[in-house]
Formats: sequence, C-alpha cells, structure tokens
Amino acid sequence: MSFKNTYIGTIVYAVKSLATGMKVTLCEFFTRKVTEHYPENRKTLKISDRHRGVLVMPHDDEGNNKCIACGLCQMTCPNGTISITTKSVTDEETGKSKKVLVEYNYDLGACMFCQLCVNACPKGAIEFSNEFENAVFDRKKLVLKLNK
Amino acid sequence: MMEVTFVEIEEFRSTMIHLHRKGMDFLREMIGMDWNEEGLGAIYILENSDTHECTEIAVRTTDRENPELPSVSDLWMVAEFYEREVFDFYGIRFTGHHDLRRLFLRKDWVGHPLRKDYDTSEEINPIRMESEPVEEFSREYDIKDDKELAEKVEKLKILHYDQYTVNIGPQHPATHGVLHFHLSLEGEEVRKVDIHCGYIHRGIEKLCESRTYPQTLAFTDRLDYLSAHQNRHALCMCIENAMGLEVTERVQYIRTIMDELQRIDSHLLMYSCMAMDMGAITGFIYGFREREKILDIMEEVTGGRLIQNYNVIGGVQADITPGFAQKVKEYCNDQKKRIREYYDVFVNNVIFTNRAKGVGVLTRNDAISFGATGGTGRASGWACDVRKRHPYAMYGKVDFKEIIHTGGDSYDRLLVRLEEIMQSIHIIEQLIDNIPEGDFRTKTKPIIKLPEGRFTASVEGSRGEFGVFIESRGDKTPYRMKFRPTGLPLIAAAHKIMKGCKIADLITIGASLDYVIPDIDR
Amino acid sequence: MTDFNTIIEAIDSSLNSMMPHSAAVLVECILAAVCAIGAYLVFAIIMIYMERKVCAAFQCRVGPDRVGKWGILQVFSDVFKMLIKEIIDIKNSDRILYNLAPFLVVMSSLITFSCLPFARGLQVLDFNIGIFFIMAASSFGILGILLAGWSSNNKFSMIGAIRSGGQMISYELSMGLSILTLVVLSGSMQISELVEDQTRGWFIFRGHIPAVIAFIMYIISGNAETNRAPFDLPEAESELTAGFHTEYSGMGFGLFYVAEFMNMFIIAGIASTIFLGGWAPFYISGLDGFNEAMCWIPGIVWFLGKTFFVIWLLMWIRWTFPRLRIDQVLVLEWKYMVPIGLLNLLIMTICVVMGWTF
Repeated sequence: MSFKNTYIGTIVYAVKSLATGMKVTLCEFFTRKVTEHYPENRKTLKISDRHRGVLVMPHDDEGNNKCIACGLCQMTCPNGTISITTKSVTDEETGKSKKVLVEYNYDLGACMFCQLCVNACPKGAIEFSNEFENAVFDRKKLVLKLNK
Repeated sequence: MMEVTFVEIEEFRSTMIHLHRKGMDFLREMIGMDWNEEGLGAIYILENSDTHECTEIAVRTTDRENPELPSVSDLWMVAEFYEREVFDFYGIRFTGHHDLRRLFLRKDWVGHPLRKDYDTSEEINPIRMESEPVEEFSREYDIKDDKELAEKVEKLKILHYDQYTVNIGPQHPATHGVLHFHLSLEGEEVRKVDIHCGYIHRGIEKLCESRTYPQTLAFTDRLDYLSAHQNRHALCMCIENAMGLEVTERVQYIRTIMDELQRIDSHLLMYSCMAMDMGAITGFIYGFREREKILDIMEEVTGGRLIQNYNVIGGVQADITPGFAQKVKEYCNDQKKRIREYYDVFVNNVIFTNRAKGVGVLTRNDAISFGATGGTGRASGWACDVRKRHPYAMYGKVDFKEIIHTGGDSYDRLLVRLEEIMQSIHIIEQLIDNIPEGDFRTKTKPIIKLPEGRFTASVEGSRGEFGVFIESRGDKTPYRMKFRPTGLPLIAAAHKIMKGCKIADLITIGASLDYVIPDIDR
Repeated sequence: MTDFNTIIEAIDSSLNSMMPHSAAVLVECILAAVCAIGAYLVFAIIMIYMERKVCAAFQCRVGPDRVGKWGILQVFSDVFKMLIKEIIDIKNSDRILYNLAPFLVVMSSLITFSCLPFARGLQVLDFNIGIFFIMAASSFGILGILLAGWSSNNKFSMIGAIRSGGQMISYELSMGLSILTLVVLSGSMQISELVEDQTRGWFIFRGHIPAVIAFIMYIISGNAETNRAPFDLPEAESELTAGFHTEYSGMGFGLFYVAEFMNMFIIAGIASTIFLGGWAPFYISGLDGFNEAMCWIPGIVWFLGKTFFVIWLLMWIRWTFPRLRIDQVLVLEWKYMVPIGLLNLLIMTICVVMGWTF
C-alpha cells in the first residue's frame, strides 16, 4: 500500500490539495478584476462590426436607398420577417413600367438573424447594424419601417 | 450518397442479430421515415467500433393504420430511446420494446407529426393549458400467437405512488435546461430514474422539410448551441457533398480553426458548469473568464457570440478579420497558462476527486451500445472521435492525439475534456499561421437543389458525433432531414448509470455527461 | 484599556437610585436586549455586504457597486425588496411550525450572540459555564431548520432538513472536542476569565501545536455548523434548489439568511475569543514597550478585528471549495475529526500536565 492510501497519507494529500486551491483563490483575490462596467463603458464598448443587431437600409444624403423592390429578401426569409409593398411606376423617359418600393417593413421580434436576406440582396440595399440595445416594452414597436 | 439495403420485415430481426454478432456494435443513427405509399419505416446506420466500416439497413411496412416493426432495443441499448422517438414521430410500434411511450411530445398529442399525411390544423392539437400528467405505467406491445397486436399496459410500473418520488426538473438548477428526472428515492439513494424530454422540442426536423436548404442552416446553431460551428459545418458539408461542390482550402482551414475554438469554448463551459454544480462557484467564474475571450474572438469574426451563423453552403459568411490570427495566438498562450489554475482550484481538489472518482461508471461496452460518443465515450476507453475515424476538413492533415481514459467515471469525463482543450489548442497552433490564400466562399446558384438520393455527413461536435442525414427527391427542400443528436444517447446512458447513486451523484453524473437540452429535444 | 464594567456599574447604580430594584433590573434587561438586537442587525448588514464584496474579489469580480457609492446601500435595498415580497401560503403546510421555524433559528443565534465578550465587561451573559451555555444555545438552531424542512410540505426541504440534522449533530462533537482542548489549557469555562487569561498571550500561541490543530478543527466544524460551503448540503442549490428554506419567501427567508450570517459571526467571534484572545491585545512577554503600545488600541477594536479576520478566513474557504457529499461529510467527521480531536485533547492534557505550554 502506498503512502497516499494510508490514513495519514490521505490527510496529508487532502490538506495539500486544499491548500493549493486556497493559494489560487488568494492570488486571484489581489489580481485585477475582469468585470466590465456596462453601461458606464458605453463610449469605449466595442461591438463587432459584423454583429447582427438590427436590419437597416442605409440611405445616402439625399434620402435615396438602393432597394429595387425585387422581393428576394422577402422570399428568402424563413420567418416571414420582411414584408414589402410595391407599386408600379412608368418611367417618363423610356416609357417602361418599373416596380418601386413603397414600404419596407421588418419585424425585429421575429427575426432570427440568419443573414439570408442580406446575402440575397442583389444591390446591397440592406445590411445589419451592430446596434444591440433593442429592448422595448411593446412588441408592436419592434415592427420597423426601414425605408424613408 | 448513401446506399441503403432494404430488408423484409420477416428477415429484419435475424439480419440485425447477425450484423450485431459480426461486430456492428455501434448503432450510429436510426432514422424514422415516411416513404408515402411505399410505407413507413426506419433506416439504421450501423458501424463496427473497431474497423469503422458502416452498413445501412432499412426496413418498412406498408400498413399505415397499425404499423409495427420488430424492436432492436435488446441489441443496442440506445435503440430504446431511438425507437421511442420514431414511435412518437411516426407512430410505428416496435414489438418487443418494453417501454414504448412518447419521447418528446405530450401523451395527449393527437397524431404523429413527421408523417407526410399529418394534419397540422390547430383544432386537432390545440394549445393545452393544463399540465401533462406524469405517466405511471409503461407500455409494451407484443405480437400474440394469432398475429394480433396486443397492448400490454401496466406491465411495468414506472414509479409507484408509495415510493418517495422527487422531480428534479424541468426547472432545476442542475439540469442545465428543461430536462425532467423523475426519481424514486430511498433516503439519499436513487432507486429508479425516469427521464422525460421534450420540454424544448421545436420540431426542427419537421420544419426543415418545408424550408429551402439555405434556410435549414439557421436551425443547426439552435440545436446544440455550444457546438454551433460544428453542427453547421456538418450540414454544409452534407449539402456540399451532395451538390458536388468543392470548397477552397482556405475555407477548410477556417472551418477547422473555428470548430476547435468552439470545442474549447464548450469544454470550458463544461468544466465551469461542473464546478458550479459541485458548489465550487469560484471555479465556475474562472472558466468563464477565459471563455469570454473566445467569445470575443468569435464575435469579431462571425458577429455572434452564441448564434454564430458563420458557415454557409460553399464557404463561410465572411472572411476572417486581419487581427484574427494574432488574437487567437494570444488567447492560446494565455489559456495554456490558465488551465493549471483549473486543476489547482477544482480538478485536483480532494473533495471533488472523492465525489467524482468511481461515480457513474460507464463501461466501454455500454458506451458503445448506448452510442455515447464524444468525451463520454472516450472517458470509457472507446476511441470514437470522428476526427480520427472518418477525417474531414483539415483533421486528416494535422497532428493531434485522441484523448482516451479508461475509468469511465465522472472524473475521467472531466479530464478528457480538459486535456482535449490542450489538443484543440495544439491543432489551432498548427493551422493558424498557414491559412492559405483563396476565396472564402464559392459562389452557388441562388436556388440550391440536391440530386435525388440519401446523403449523410458527420462531424465531431463538442459533445459527440453530430450527424446529418438528408433524403432528397430533387427539390429545393429536403424530403427528410434528420440530425443525429449528440445528447440523446447520453441521456439514454444516464438512465442506466444513475441508478443506485446518491442525489449528489446524480448531479455529478449529469454535469459530467455534459448534455445540452435543445440538442436532445430538437 | 477601557473597562466597560465601570460604565455599566454607573448605569446600574443610577437606575437603582431612580427606581425600585426590580424595575431597574427590568429596564436593564430591556436596554441590554435592545443593544444586543441593534448590534446584531448592524453586524448582519456589515457581514452581508462583506460577503458579497469578498466573494467577488475571490472570483475576479467587483461585486455590487450600483446602489450607493461602492454599493454600500445594496443590503438596504435587498432588505426592502424582501419586505415587499409576497408571503406565499403553502398548501398543506403546518402553519404554526412553518412560521415559528425562522424565529427559532434567529433566537438561537441571538442568545449565543449575547454571550460574546466585545470588550472588557461588555458582555450580556457571563457565568461560570459560559462555554457550555454557548454550545447549548447555538445547537438549538437546528430545531428551527428541522421544523422548517418538515413543515414546508416539500420534499426538497425535507431532504435538506434531514441532511442538516445528521450533519449538525455530528459536528457538535468535534466542535465540543476542540473547545474542550482549550478549556483544558485555560482551566476555566467562564468566558470573561478565558479572555482575561489571554492578556498574557493568546491561547493559539500558548497552546502551540495542539491549539493550532484545535483551531483548524474548530474552523471546519464551525463551517459545518453554520451550513456554509463546503458544508452547505442542507441548502445545496444545485441539488435541492434551496434546501430547507425552499418554500420561504420575504422575511421568512430573510430571517434564515440573517441567522446564517450571524451564525458565521458567532463562530468567528467564539474562535477569536477562545483562540485569538478576544479583546486581549497582542502580547509578547518581555517586550514591555510593545505590549504597552498594543494596549492603547481599545479592546473592542481588537475583538472585531480578529473576528472579521476569522470571517474572512471562513469566506475564503467557502469560495474555494466544492461541496461535499453527505457520506463524505460523515466520513470526515467520524473517521478523521473525532479521532484526531480526541488525540489532540490527550496531547493537550499531557502538555498541560507536563507544563509544556507557555
């Protein structure tokens, strides 16, 4: 029988293992703490640019977006999160009729952030922003109109 | 493409017994199927645990009213749970199965949802406001001499009213989610365990049947959320193989690195939660401190901390960020130092070693019979690592050791995980400096259709083999998509090894098996 | 060094001169009770705050820091929250026992608390078998825990209470043995005399090896007595959710919570009284100047300083180790603590007889 399995041996071994554990915690007692002070650190907080917080449709300075109302995003969405209303407008110069976006509705509450809509968009008209503080008190407020 | 051998019902049982004798001792998957007019049935994927050769057997019955198939739960213990699942989803009754209850759905559920003729209308299955009564009796079906089906109810009482029964779960701090252990106690000792799953069943496999292939990808992150990368990797790999799409070497590298990061993440969580369950909350926080760093890296690359959404068909969603390699290397160096702390504060602690050694011993044979892969299987001495068995991505080309312990107890299960963290770091270090140039994503057609046939792929998830099975009829949606849960075999094994232990041991065993409920319930 | 006896005697004589003797005694009793309860609450608040901060520091966190500067108002907001919580009526519970249980626990700790000598003369109860009284009073808290578990009509509570019973009864033994070792050394069981004796050197130094062993044993069994980790089996949150107080909400739970913390204070207080000299200052024989300087620090500071050091030690233990299993708890007690305790007592007796102590 090795010493480790004897009566005295178990005590010695036990005390040693307990002491090592206490040494580790004592060292940590004096090290720097890792807690992040949210929300005080809002200014310095870095959220990855790739974070999928909420779907947005970027507009340029004149308020135009790139959406061509093709409906691919609506079709590819697994949850029916996106609904688009369009109208037909006849172009005065060419005389051809063209679909134009009227309203782009997006339900943040039902979105599963799979990014399929962004991947499907041929014009890069929609993207995810890294805005993450999206909590609201009413579900209806989560239905957003993306186009201006 | 998978070749399936169809067997007649009459010969099925003898074929299976024969195969089992021949060494096909690992029932990798059992897939319930509804082939419409061709009947209801199941596909069994068997593997030899030594030679790793596989056989696929299928059996079906044309009787849709009273479908019955012979049970194989006496040959492979995990079939007990798999058959319950198939019974639940397809209504196939397995004769000879001694406890054929529904596994996931409520007892009062009408119909079997994965059948193609299932009526989804809400009138049939309204939202029930009363809680489900706990079943007291198990059910067994058998074929009598006159070939008529007889239902033997009340043959086995699950739990008696006169026993001291305790419900651990569905809301309980130590079940890591909504799992329900129905225990019968004698003092501190557990006499009988009855496990109820399905509290977080979302019908993902059913949902997949009406989704396009890219849409199904999002579900994989929500199965076992601690191996989101690996799960998605498996599904992408399966679809890519079926399409005959080659991904670039760069993608393979990135996928392998991300898989390993995810594995470290999961194993750290397993260590932490085990410490937490044992009452060492400080150990828990130390593990999470390092895990946070992985999550930061993941967030930067994939945009998500839990639901990462990174692998897509043909590659990955976005290229790695410029500082990725540097950050990963810094993390690896830090982790190698920190892991010592876990041993000192928790793993080598005499209280923990006494509580975990020899508790919940799963023998090698049982592990194989239960199909308990991953760290649990390897702690029982079963070399079941898919990365070694059927190498995929970069695993065939990197050097790493398959960690194997032989004790099969809770302590070994934890050790396997901690040592695997070191191996994962070793793999990452070999790859991180050599990521080749190339496309991060191969362009695919906007609408993806798979050729007709059956396809499988499996990867080593964080807690075992995660498999994907797709049966395609050439459409843009799968005819049947099945995920091999990594947790269900573990739960099946838990059923057995928890018997006779103390309440505290039950928690130890649960923590060491490291199951994730959404993965079990799907 | 201030002697509170003079102050107390002054109050006593002035009261006696104002009113008849029996009324004076009554007023004194009320005064003492109010002071004791006041101190009890103040220490509970300090302890809860300390626990949260110390625990955070061991775990690389900063702890509560939102309510008030450094989170000092955290405890008050917690208490406020507890007060406004709904008291839930448990179906089929034994109403009287269920409501009585938390008070029993608090009562036991309050009585024990009043035996602690905070400074020379500042002690509510002091008589010739004080040590015995402390042990007896502290051990009837178990009654409250058992009743709480039994009357809650909850199986988790019941298991917790049973565990608690087994554990407490076992550890009383080793706690008694370790205290007895020191009683052998001092030759008295009166608390004031014990401390007075230590003004010429603390027992842990004077009793050297057996005293140190007794101290370690006392800390272990003290931890077990107060149901704190690693001996928190009765409430083991990962097994029994909250053990014996699962069904209590609001102030019922609050009382258990306060009592648990105060029990820790009491354990630490007794440890500092009988091992570390109570209010007696640090004394090294021969260094008169040094001893003189030490005497300038008031006794109450000495006592609280030592007590909070022991509390910190208990917290350090608590936040390092995993929980034991019930059979390990009993093995530790009956296979290790009791034999070692008995042996230790023997060694101490030999040391005292042979005059090998200081």
